[in-house]
Amino acid sequence: MNVLEINEVYKTYHDTEVAVTAVNGVTLSFERGEFAAVVGPSGSGKTTLLNLIGGLDQPTDGEIIVAGHRLSELRPSELIDFRMEHVGFVFQSYNLIPVLTASENIGFIMNLQHWPADKRKKRTDELLHSVGLADRGNSRPSQLSGGQQQRVAVARALATRPEFILADEPTANLDSKSTDTLLDIMEKLNRDEEMTFIFSTHDSRVVRRARRIITLEDGRVVSDERR
Amino acid sequence: MIIEIAWKNVWRNKVRSLIVIAAMTIGVFAGVFSIAVMNSSVVQRIDSAVNEELSHIQINNKDFRSSNDINDFIPDLDTLFEKILTTEGVEDATGRIIVQAMASTARKSTGVMLVGIDPEKERHIFTLGEKVIPGTGGFFQGETKYNTAYIGEKLAKELNIVRYMMDDEAFNKMSESDIPQEVILKLEQFRGVRFVSEKKLKAELRNVLSHKEFRQYSGQVFSSAWSYREGSRIVFTFVDCEGNQTGATFRITGIFRTNNDMFETSSVFVPYDELCSLTGIEPGNYHRIIARLTDNDITDRVTREVRAALPSLEVLNWKEISPDLAMLADFMQQIYALFMIIILAALAFGIVNTMLMAVLERTREIGMLAAIGMNRKKIFAMIMTESVFLSVIGGISGMIVGMVIIAVTSRNGINLVNYSEGMEAIGYSVNLFPVIDPLFFTITACLIILTGIISSVYPARKALKLNPVEALRGEK
Ligand SMILES: Nc1ncnc2c1ncn2[C@@H]1O[C@H](COP(=O)(O)OP(=O)(O)OP(=O)(O)O)[C@@H](O)[C@H]1O
Ligand SMILES: [Mg+2]
Repeated sequence: MNVLEINEVYKTYHDTEVAVTAVNGVTLSFERGEFAAVVGPSGSGKTTLLNLIGGLDQPTDGEIIVAGHRLSELRPSELIDFRMEHVGFVFQSYNLIPVLTASENIGFIMNLQHWPADKRKKRTDELLHSVGLADRGNSRPSQLSGGQQQRVAVARALATRPEFILADEPTANLDSKSTDTLLDIMEKLNRDEEMTFIFSTHDSRVVRRARRIITLEDGRVVSDERR
Repeated sequence: MIIEIAWKNVWRNKVRSLIVIAAMTIGVFAGVFSIAVMNSSVVQRIDSAVNEELSHIQINNKDFRSSNDINDFIPDLDTLFEKILTTEGVEDATGRIIVQAMASTARKSTGVMLVGIDPEKERHIFTLGEKVIPGTGGFFQGETKYNTAYIGEKLAKELNIVRYMMDDEAFNKMSESDIPQEVILKLEQFRGVRFVSEKKLKAELRNVLSHKEFRQYSGQVFSSAWSYREGSRIVFTFVDCEGNQTGATFRITGIFRTNNDMFETSSVFVPYDELCSLTGIEPGNYHRIIARLTDNDITDRVTREVRAALPSLEVLNWKEISPDLAMLADFMQQIYALFMIIILAALAFGIVNTMLMAVLERTREIGMLAAIGMNRKKIFAMIMTESVFLSVIGGISGMIVGMVIIAVTSRNGINLVNYSEGMEAIGYSVNLFPVIDPLFFTITACLIILTGIISSVYPARKALKLNPVEALRGEK
């Protein structure tokens, strides 16, 4: 079953002097458990596409369907709840709430979803373990390295088992060792939890580890290969 | 969870939050305290007006106030007392006779109002008896045999009954006080001198003392030299019932000191029976009934009721007799309100400014929160809660500081003795005991929290306007 379908999606920005079509007729579908990289030169529309998929931005034309929800039919307030329920986000930086500990950050969305405390704690501990931070649960983000922060962000994103996780250049600020560790963890979670990952990247080391590579150029899909 | 995050966010920038809180503390404290100080003088003034000078309600015949006719007695006293005393809120009532008189001593004379009272009864109703200067007599303790009088200090000074003796006793008192030895030495030249008035002593002191010494110590010199001859006499002359000029000598058995010079110079209290027999008034008649109420706040209502019950008489409460005082009380209420508005406005600006800064510097974080699914209501609530925490901490700590300082200062009072002459002449105490109504405190607390809530709306709305995509794009 497809967790995500993108049909003939366009996104044009009119707020600049010349209109920019950042996403230009993209059609894609994703199955459960994919580990897909979106690549392409700077300005090719990767971020824009991920934002559209995640319901952070509305397409100018076309249809995006996540787990049976047509995003165009959702009102803005419903979109926020939709994101909380169905999409996990990992950003390049500023992922975590600085005043909360790693555990509390991981528990944040479970908290928004009113999980009971014991269930929440169990899941948090399990995830801290999976991302290799079992002993850092009480650390504040400022006390963690960039790579560790990204691991916490991944753990938070998948805590409530969303449809898929969108990660826009999650390794852009990391050194190669941290990048490898993060990817190890993402792969493991992809396998163990059958979680779908869609991430954009510039980094060839990251691209190499993807099982599906979608290449964008000027907002168009120029290649889509599976390995 | 929102509350927890908001609380932690408040302490993210500790220095900034503490500065805002400190500023609010100082603002609220300054406001509350200055209101308490202003309020104290008004409350004390009203208190003495009601308890010593006017009582709550006065009743007399309709034209008595203008004519002062000695034969203008209130009729039907039995039913009248019954009506008054059965009115809810009236604690007690008593009657007085009032005779215009001329008071004279060997040196001076002045016009006064002789008020014939029953000291035993009035002692229970009014506190004027407590205003007696210790050692000047026992008018309210039964020293009312024959012609005795209870007079104000100001009148006593005017009639030269009170004098200033720089005798050995005065010098002993001065050396026991905190007047420095060198000042006392300068005064040594006056040893044994008797000054007939404060004015004369003052003039001499000004000559020998430096300006600063005079300001600091003259009060203590006056009180050391203050002397009064026990049993001094005054002659009162007045017109009796039949219209004949008559008079009598009165022995002073008490000098009272209030904060109202006017009252002190114009009213002389003498035993009712004596005044009756001297003027030929049939005992049992009264010119005026004064009533004391259980609570000052019910004055207006009780006045209306008594007035309705006694349509043929003039019924006035203290606010009507002394409209300036009532106006002052009203006016002060408005001043307090204005004060509070200014404080709350400053508080609001402080909160808006701080929270706006907090929102703007957290743009990306708030964008991230919105992206991962924190809804508008929760973001709004988070920012609001942060502001409310700030204002509540600042406001409450300001009120606590205010309360503590009011409690401390109200025990000993704040002495404004340097400005005393002007204030006492118009009836205000020089010793201020800051007071504040508990209700005022509660209202202030609510207003502070309300201000916190209202002023956080703008920053919180600002946070809602953030577009998560744009907020996050800024990160590159
Ligand atoms: N808010 C916007 N207003 C106008 N143009 C925009 C806006 N956002 C993106 N664009 C334009 O859309 C195009 C695609 O941008 P996008 O950020 O999606 O590219 P990208 O592939 O993510 O690039 P990078 O690899 O540098 O992150 C660019 O030409 C960009 O200038
Ligand atoms: Mg990008």
